[in-house]
Amino acid sequence: MSRPLPPAARWLLHRAAGAVLVLWGAASLAFLVLHLVPGDPVTTLLGASATDSTALRAEIRREYRLDDPAAAQYAAFLARLATGELGDSYQQRQPVSVIIGEQLGHTAELALGALVLLVAGALLTATLTAGRGRRVRGLASGAELIAVSTPAFWLGIVLLTVFSFRLNVFPVAGAGDWRSLALPVVTLAVPFGSLLAQVLREGMESALHQPFALTARSRGLRPAALRLRHALRHAAVPAVTLSGWLAGGLLSGTVLVETVFARPGLGRVALDAVSGRDIPVVVGLVLLSAAVYLVVNALADLICLWADPRLRSPV
Amino acid sequence: MRGGTFTYAAAVGTSCLDPHTSPGDITAVVQRNVFDSLVHLDDRGRFHPWLATSWKISDDARSYTFELRDDVTFHDGTPFDAAAVKANLEHIRAPATKSLYAAALLGPYRDSEILGEHRIRIDFAEPSVPFLQAASTPYLGIASPVSLSRDKDRLCAGGKYSVGSGPFRSERYVKNDRAEFVRNADYRWSPKGAAHQGPPLVDRLVVRFLPEDSVRAGALTSGQVDAAAVPITSARAVRRDSSLKLTKRQAPGAAYALYLNTGRGPLRDERVRRALQRSVDVDALIRGVYRGEYERAWSPLSPATPGGYDDSIEGAIRHDPQGAAALLDRAGWTGRDGEGYRTKDGRRLSLRWPYIGALIRDQRDVLAEAVQAELRKNGIDLVREAVETGAYFERYGKGDYDVWDNAWVRADPAILAGFYLSAQRPAEGGQNVSGANDPQVDAWLRAGAAEKRPQARETSYAKVERWAVDHGTVLPLYVPVTAIGTGEKARGLTFDANAWPQFAGVWKTER
Repeated sequence: MSRPLPPAARWLLHRAAGAVLVLWGAASLAFLVLHLVPGDPVTTLLGASATDSTALRAEIRREYRLDDPAAAQYAAFLARLATGELGDSYQQRQPVSVIIGEQLGHTAELALGALVLLVAGALLTATLTAGRGRRVRGLASGAELIAVSTPAFWLGIVLLTVFSFRLNVFPVAGAGDWRSLALPVVTLAVPFGSLLAQVLREGMESALHQPFALTARSRGLRPAALRLRHALRHAAVPAVTLSGWLAGGLLSGTVLVETVFARPGLGRVALDAVSGRDIPVVVGLVLLSAAVYLVVNALADLICLWADPRLRSPV
Repeated sequence: MRGGTFTYAAAVGTSCLDPHTSPGDITAVVQRNVFDSLVHLDDRGRFHPWLATSWKISDDARSYTFELRDDVTFHDGTPFDAAAVKANLEHIRAPATKSLYAAALLGPYRDSEILGEHRIRIDFAEPSVPFLQAASTPYLGIASPVSLSRDKDRLCAGGKYSVGSGPFRSERYVKNDRAEFVRNADYRWSPKGAAHQGPPLVDRLVVRFLPEDSVRAGALTSGQVDAAAVPITSARAVRRDSSLKLTKRQAPGAAYALYLNTGRGPLRDERVRRALQRSVDVDALIRGVYRGEYERAWSPLSPATPGGYDDSIEGAIRHDPQGAAALLDRAGWTGRDGEGYRTKDGRRLSLRWPYIGALIRDQRDVLAEAVQAELRKNGIDLVREAVETGAYFERYGKGDYDVWDNAWVRADPAILAGFYLSAQRPAEGGQNVSGANDPQVDAWLRAGAAEKRPQARETSYAKVERWAVDHGTVLPLYVPVTAIGTGEKARGLTFDANAWPQFAGVWKTER
């Protein structure tokens, strides 16, 4: 007789099965969309090149098996994916895994840097300003509103002009050391951080108005401790539910930031791949972002469970 | 002073750094540092020995015999010889290379025969006078034959996979970021007549890819790069900045022009095409949009093209709106619809011009709107259609357009053959976008490829230029320009016949 699985394992198994389903769906959708978009990949690849010949076309079609029926292409595509093989880029003539591997670090550095900065900034401003006098709150939320509505592109150019071209504190662009990372991280973090700060403050203020806050104060809890130990925990749940949106925002934000700051990274790889109908690269990136979403959502669920004991189901 | 790093900021990157495959100008500019060519074409259109010490062209221009240098080694230590040249030509021709341009430059290449360790004969199926210019380009640059076979699937990746014999060794390439090169201390085979001879003066050369115009200009003005491709919108600011220097060179080859599709719709009628040419005040538009930075073009050929441009063509297209209106009346476009556009049998005189938004540069979108406004005055509706890349090239192949814009750098009038030989149909990879199909034109172009006497050759191509303009196949707009800004410390930057910057002799005045 087999023993029932422990709940944690059941949870994991459940998650894993869902993840496989999501990845399969994402890959299939990408495959479908890219085959429905008008334009032949070979035509796009050759462009207005001067050597397009029937022989060359045939060579490319043969190599990428573009003449097979769609169903056969799809089956081969899934079979390849199942073995973890992403194929070769049409445009760059290199394995997709190599391309993504080379550029992933640059984007991860940028997105994680921005994430740390924006979460820290949002926590700081929210705890400092929640429930304060009207003037402090007005100033903070006004500044946040401006920051949220500032186009990242414009912000990036302004930061560059001031800190790179005029003051020469940071290098213009590129990748390598922390100095080249500073301006892009700020550019990416500011709009998302401001929104997160607003949500956190809202949550904290509603928590501070609840009866338990008064009870805690009457027990002699200091205001700072009340904010950090109780109100923040209450505000965390609505903020964490934003994490999916945040992950998507940071990923798509990198496209813009990488372009302005001429940084290498997946954002620009994605831009080139989509416009060049580089199907293997697009599929690789779709799978990667689906995986990122899955991880982010799993983490968000765990954080919510920690923050709100009511969500923990009785075992 | 010697040593240090010279940094150049380029405007565009590339998905492939193998010059045998990629058609991009940037590939040629970047890889010129790594790959040498058989011959060198200087900025005055004269050929000089390089990897080849001398050459002989047969009377029928179907075979070339090159005597090669015997003291050249590739960066990987492989000696340069006739077999290396043959391996390169075969690599360009091989379908697996998927050459998008070099194979076209090689033209009717048939075979090559190794006549000795440093002697090779290259044979063509047809007379190929333009081959010498083709051989001077980085696209036909000579790579180490070892790398061509060992790294054949990795050549596009650049970096350590680019192995040539050039003044710089290719070290690293990070797509969308930078390409890094190291001085080749053994370099003793500079092109004859080049301003700088021998190994480079700097230790390292870095090419940064900065697509955002304002960022690139800022990088230059703040001294973070030593030289940069200057967007035309910043040319004036760079010139005014006393710490910077702006150098402009007109690019040879096909000028930026609108080609009119003679194969369909209203433009089948030559009168309508000539009316379109006369409706646009090109002088005023180019002056207005480019503020004197660009010159208007009169011919499909750039005046900077060595041995081809015929300046008697200047003035051939006049701005004459009344004459144009009369031509349209005679062609039967006499009606007017509610929006003031001309009609015939109830159909509007409407022309389609597809374009890819992301590829717009040099303010061509502003220019296009100005052309549109000019044509509208004469009742012609020019419709600009933003399309996605796949659809764009599909329409190119099918001839599904009335107007198509193009420009192409090549330092030889043979570029006209691509645009006007009747066999060069877009569906088969040609560039004859106007659909010109005239046996006389074909004959002139073939004569141009077979004629070894420069004067007669020039006359042959001049006839094609004249025909193209007189029959309304093209509306030339401006002569493309390479504009390079250099910082205070930068010295030694030169240009080749393609108006591309050359880094073999760059140095800096202080560290």
